[in-house]
Amino acid sequence: MRNLASLLFIVGLAFLLLLVTGVFEFGNPPMRVGQGIQQVGPQEVGAANLVTAVVLGYRGIDTLGELSILFAAATAGGFVLGRHRLARSGAEAGFVLRTGADLLFPLLLVVGLYIVLHGHLTPGGGFQGGVIIATAFFVPLLARPGAALDHRWLALVEGLAGAAFIAIGLLALYRGGEFLQPFLEKGDFGSLVSAGTLPLLYLAVGLKVGAELAGLLARLAEPAGEEAA
Amino acid sequence: MSDPIGQVLFAGAIGLVVIGIGGIVLSRHLFRMVLALVIAEAGANLLLVLAGFRWDAFAPILTQGVAAPGPMVDPVPQAMVLTAIVIGVGVQALALSLVIKVWECYGTLDLAEVRERLEADLAGQAGVPLPGSTERPAGERPLPPATAPAGEVRQ
Amino acid sequence: MSSITLMVALPLLAAFVLPLAARVARPLGWLVGPATLVATIWVGLEAWRALEGPAVTIALGGFLPPLGIVFHVDELALVFALAVPVATLLLWPWDDGEEGVRRQSLTLLLAASCAGLALSGDLFNIYVFYELAAVASYGLATDRRTAAGFAAAFRYLMLSALGSVVALVGVALVYFLTGTLNLAHLATLQDELSNPIGLAAFLFLLIGFGVKAEMFPVNAWVPEVYAAASRRVSALLAGLVSKLAVLVLVRMLLVVFEQPEARVALLVLGTVGVLTGEFAAWRAKDMARMLAWSSIGQLGLVLMAFSISGTAGVAAGLAVALHHLVVKPALFLLAERWGGAIEALKGAGRRSPLGAALFVLFALSLVGIPPLPGFWAKYLLLGGLAGEGTSLYLAGALVVLVATVVEANYLFRTAALLYARPEAGTQPPAANSPLALGTATLLGAVLVAGVVWVVPLGAGIERIAAVAADPVPYVASALALVQGG
Repeated sequence: MRNLASLLFIVGLAFLLLLVTGVFEFGNPPMRVGQGIQQVGPQEVGAANLVTAVVLGYRGIDTLGELSILFAAATAGGFVLGRHRLARSGAEAGFVLRTGADLLFPLLLVVGLYIVLHGHLTPGGGFQGGVIIATAFFVPLLARPGAALDHRWLALVEGLAGAAFIAIGLLALYRGGEFLQPFLEKGDFGSLVSAGTLPLLYLAVGLKVGAELAGLLARLAEPAGEEAA
Repeated sequence: MSDPIGQVLFAGAIGLVVIGIGGIVLSRHLFRMVLALVIAEAGANLLLVLAGFRWDAFAPILTQGVAAPGPMVDPVPQAMVLTAIVIGVGVQALALSLVIKVWECYGTLDLAEVRERLEADLAGQAGVPLPGSTERPAGERPLPPATAPAGEVRQ
Repeated sequence: MSSITLMVALPLLAAFVLPLAARVARPLGWLVGPATLVATIWVGLEAWRALEGPAVTIALGGFLPPLGIVFHVDELALVFALAVPVATLLLWPWDDGEEGVRRQSLTLLLAASCAGLALSGDLFNIYVFYELAAVASYGLATDRRTAAGFAAAFRYLMLSALGSVVALVGVALVYFLTGTLNLAHLATLQDELSNPIGLAAFLFLLIGFGVKAEMFPVNAWVPEVYAAASRRVSALLAGLVSKLAVLVLVRMLLVVFEQPEARVALLVLGTVGVLTGEFAAWRAKDMARMLAWSSIGQLGLVLMAFSISGTAGVAAGLAVALHHLVVKPALFLLAERWGGAIEALKGAGRRSPLGAALFVLFALSLVGIPPLPGFWAKYLLLGGLAGEGTSLYLAGALVVLVATVVEANYLFRTAALLYARPEAGTQPPAANSPLALGTATLLGAVLVAGVVWVVPLGAGIERIAAVAADPVPYVASALALVQGG
């Protein structure tokens, strides 16, 4: 009975939503804010990637909130899962797996950092690059069951990077502007050193996300056991 | 009515959201609920991205100097979806942590069983009989009230 | 005035830095959180002193609206933005060790996000802060580390995440219709929004944000989580976070979605919430869940109040919300040792006379006995409901009266048990910890102060409501920023 009611509710919801979206003209959005950003964005922010201009400039506080959410999830995950569990000393993964993982580590790191640093020029940015950096640390962990990441270094990088993001924002406030107002020279449009503080902000984001996700994934992968004293 | 491509895309996004919500509401296994949540969030993000699309427009990246090559797609929904995806990842990671802990504590991931154990635990913690428990059998003389555990409730 | 963004930035910074600080020196770890909250309170008070005119809009990052995100600062926002660090400080987890540090980080994140919810003037920004509050509360809900806590937190997470997906669909619909996310800008675009699709968007947002506002039908998580979590966390969630979720809904109702159908939806959901909450509280057998259901009932009253149009509605809603903000955390603190079976509380009043007296005080105010503030709040509510005149609102007034009777029954039943003679051979629960009792006494003193200063308090509420109920000053301050900037 409950299933029937739920099924009816789902069908009703689908019908309602399809009806609603049937009215929308696909491909012709009102473009109120989008038009404005396209017109003044390149001059005001100086980033070639307009999405980054929105993410770190116009909607910078949303990105700070997003960072905090990831931090909250990692902290809550650590809180829920308890202290570091005993690492399992299981079977060794094969030679191919271990060597492959070790080879991937520097490659992934380079790709990740590249994406982070060029976030204001090409598609990508702190979050995407940060996830790749996290993977760089996590893949060797998968290939070596029994190894553990040093969570203290990860926590250090995470905390300092997050504080750096907010500190840059507060610095803007201190200089008489608003919180998270971009400053520093806008530089040559399209070059690596451009768009003021945006590359720095994305670097902080990338390092924080990388350290955070690596720690979270490692903790999820650590097998259940006696909780370490 | 808008053209067929738009309709197909909208139907796809809505379909994902509805399948996901249906999965959450109808699932009887905790892990499947988490998977349904992933699907629902993907659908919602897709719907949001569709809000910025323009026909015959370029990506909002200026590769040839400051001048735009032509009309560009709205960058704001893309920034919103970036944020929403990361939020979703955080929530999913936390959901999985909770699933692991429920598995460790209760040994089962069946929704009905977990709810039963939850009710029993909460009632036991408070020292009240479960609704419908056999401590008060119907049709018999009511038993004297059980002495509730006195003293501190475990903080 | 730009410094008000510090109310969000400082707790976030403290949360990020706290694990490192605690590792460097333990006393530092103890101080960082409370010091930050005190600084945040100071910033808020300074901003209130510096507020000229009905409202001020602050462009974050220096980007003018509607391109950038804005914080909208009027007295309503300031009241709640200040309530956040004060309540967080009163309910601070003075715990130690690695787990205590995590707990404190999560509490700071909760404080930052709630301040952001009070101040933000952008729809997606509100969504982001709401999610931050949600994730922090998922973590805090497990803080007693019991199996029940994990299971209850999981159910809470699934329900809340489902709400978030629905809210995101609502945001997408608004963006489809209007192309902007700034609340003041949306207020000027009523043509695009006053159609059935706009109403659907409001309903989606209502369901999404209503999870934390303990609104029917997405409040199934409340009794389990409040029973399984520690009382301090329950106090924070029930007392503080729920009010901010309601504030968000109210802003959207007053500024963006000005259709009468939206108000009716709020009234209906609030009424059902009151009925289900109060009757379930009447049937509850343990104190924690009784308080949880009572909280659902009271929040239903708040929603009903805000569904009344005009200044009367905002004034009534603000009065009931502020009253609940003071009373509910105090009741949860008193339930620290008394959270078990209600039957087991027989004679507890003899072991803890102060606690029992406080419980009676708060119960009287919750029911609405004059001259306590609860009476004035309910008076405003009933007056507003009756003033609307339509049969729907009059039925709502009837429901409020019925709910009051039920409330009086179960609250005084509990109070009577406190003062009864204990069963032979059993020991009533011990008195609550000094910290809990002290904080509850402080809140009781606030309540009594509300009695003494009821006239200026009422005038203040009317003044704040008059500004908040009108979308014109909201839009005007945003326009002033664009033209002046």
